[in-house]
Amino acid sequence: MSFEVVARSLTQIGTTLVLILLAFALVEAIIFVFYNKVLKVGDKSLTAMLLAPAIIGLLLLIVVPLIYEVVLSFSNMNLHHFKNPSFGLDMFFANIKRVFTTKILKTMTFWPLLLQTVLWTVIQVTFHVVLGLMLALILNSNIKLKGLYKAILILPWAMPPVISGLTWRGEFHAKYGFFNIILTKVFGDQAALPWMTDSFWNFVAMNITNIWMGVPFMMIICLGALQGVPVEYYEAAAMDGAGKSHRLFNLTIPLIKPVLAPSVMLGIIWTFNNFNVPYFINQFMLETSDILVTALYRAAFTYNQYGFAAAFALVIFFILFGISVVYMKKTGALKAIGD
Amino acid sequence: MKKATLLVLTILLSLQFLTANSNSEANSVEGNVTIEMWTKEGDADGTLQWTKAKLEEFMAANPDITVELVKKTTVDELREDFQTASLAGDVPDLLWTVSDHAGPFLTADLIQSVDSFVDLSAYVETVVADGESWAVPMSSGNHLMLIYNKDLISTPPTTTDELIAMGQELTSGDNYGLVYNQTEAFWLVPWLGGFGGKVFAADGVTPTLDTPEMTATLQFLSDLKNKYKIVPQECDYNAADTLFKEGKAAMIINGDWSLGDYEKLFGDKLGVTRLPMVSSTQKWPMPYTAGIYFMIPKDIPSANAAAVGKLVSFFTSKEIQYEQVNDFNRFPGLLDAYDAPKISDNEILKGSAYQLQTGTPMPTVLEMRAVWDGIKPEMAQVFAENETPAEAVVAMQESAVAGIAAQK
Repeated sequence: MSFEVVARSLTQIGTTLVLILLAFALVEAIIFVFYNKVLKVGDKSLTAMLLAPAIIGLLLLIVVPLIYEVVLSFSNMNLHHFKNPSFGLDMFFANIKRVFTTKILKTMTFWPLLLQTVLWTVIQVTFHVVLGLMLALILNSNIKLKGLYKAILILPWAMPPVISGLTWRGEFHAKYGFFNIILTKVFGDQAALPWMTDSFWNFVAMNITNIWMGVPFMMIICLGALQGVPVEYYEAAAMDGAGKSHRLFNLTIPLIKPVLAPSVMLGIIWTFNNFNVPYFINQFMLETSDILVTALYRAAFTYNQYGFAAAFALVIFFILFGISVVYMKKTGALKAIGD
Repeated sequence: MKKATLLVLTILLSLQFLTANSNSEANSVEGNVTIEMWTKEGDADGTLQWTKAKLEEFMAANPDITVELVKKTTVDELREDFQTASLAGDVPDLLWTVSDHAGPFLTADLIQSVDSFVDLSAYVETVVADGESWAVPMSSGNHLMLIYNKDLISTPPTTTDELIAMGQELTSGDNYGLVYNQTEAFWLVPWLGGFGGKVFAADGVTPTLDTPEMTATLQFLSDLKNKYKIVPQECDYNAADTLFKEGKAAMIINGDWSLGDYEKLFGDKLGVTRLPMVSSTQKWPMPYTAGIYFMIPKDIPSANAAAVGKLVSFFTSKEIQYEQVNDFNRFPGLLDAYDAPKISDNEILKGSAYQLQTGTPMPTVLEMRAVWDGIKPEMAQVFAENETPAEAVVAMQESAVAGIAAQK
């Protein structure tokens, strides 16, 4: 990269950067004046001034897009009504009605798609928690090369999901993929599986990929929680004659539950909204491998139905919100934060 | 209080000065103009580097114009980003993209007529709607053809019966007679033409996928894989490309964009010809033809529009069009440049031109998206023998109709 290119780039972003800094300086000055001269509480001005950049950032990056999304759901915006869409309550109800009554994908309506998404989420979270906990228990015991195992096991989580997704897609290739090479070597040519073209096997493929990607997170969370359990509890339980399974179900799991419960909730939200894996593994756009968010993506960006997609996104948001509320009430997750 | 007021006023004045200064810098200080061009060209085949070099030449010849080139990784990214930028009112001044973007951009009223920029009669067929032209062709073609390795076959097949017979001879173990991208409907369309079908009715927007012609097309393609076994069990673009480059496939169906790359690798061992005639119908396959086009966003400043006009004229000048033919084997957008010596002398381009004669312009209407998405998954199901062609065509049609309805 030549100096000229660097200098030109710096000039281009320099103006914007200076403008942003000046805008912030102006905001800080206004806050300072407002607290000192209007409210006459100068001692609190520093707090407000320090919080201001974060609040402005959050407003611009989270609140404004969210409001825009809600506003869009009240419109008929698509390519035919791109620059001058109509807005109104009737548009909102029409969009919501469409979500529940018409085909979201080519042939699939909302309810089967929701069922598919729930199935995907349940399978994933179950595997993530069970395998994550098992690995954490192993890593928490006295084994050699613990650091090395930890480093290897955390790798899938450290890799960019898009890269992992595309790499896994290659491994499911009918002829050159890892799985079929192994299967055909062991069981002969007929054992090759149609990972990409068959509805069932494609769903299995995306589940395998996401289990691989999701287990490390749960493993680390469980390991952290396990390390907080005092060894004396186990010693006392052993003295009372508690077996391994008894200790696991009546001691370990209840003790790590305050950490596990919010992590499972996060896992549910992330898996329910996981876009990368279902999108990249489903190379042939099989409807049976779509979940709500991939269908939402196709509605918004393939078919440019912006108003409808915004309403659809709101529906997904409220479903997740409902699941989270019920889950929090049942498990007491985030109770400590509430307290 | 006075000090604080003074501070606020100073900041406001500074902001105003800076804003005014930056605006004048961006547009015209002493007659200088900066324009932004978005391109879909990539660096793998050298077209991006070539475009950059040409822009340097252009800027050297026009010192009052600065062109900022923005590369978009995929054509879809270019389309999506342009739509978003249009909503935000911050559009580039020029787009270098594919013809099928004209559909969504025209529907959303995002591009302007190019009739006032250049004389379109000097160019190959362009995107015309409502009596106006909406794009300037940079190159034409973008069509599929049969490309073969002369080390493996001396004479290419001219009919599908010959293709199957030759394919069976050449297929064994990891070597295949024919490879092509089995994942995209773009590779199915030429054969649909060969069986006498079209994706749209005469009105150009009503899908006609549940036809005997489409059934026959799917059956033929499925037979290549499942009955005659002359193509791999699964094959996407990269797999096909790699197999051919490694000499493990005698023939590949690929587009003109790949010719430059293959020519470098195979030299005079590369053969290019028409897709073989469908034996049962005695019709030639009809690949879609399109090309690369300049499109001009609406409402760009007049000073920028003048610079855009100069830039488009520069890229579609005879010299540059010749260079494009020579360097990338792309057919020109400018009619005058068809006398380029390479087109008549070079065997590869002759083969490509031979295929182009049976091509048919790709529809640029918005409805095409729903057609592509309707065909793709059903095609995969037929190839996997999960569905019969007769079942698939019904599902395709249903899907395309639903997709089009959703766009309204």
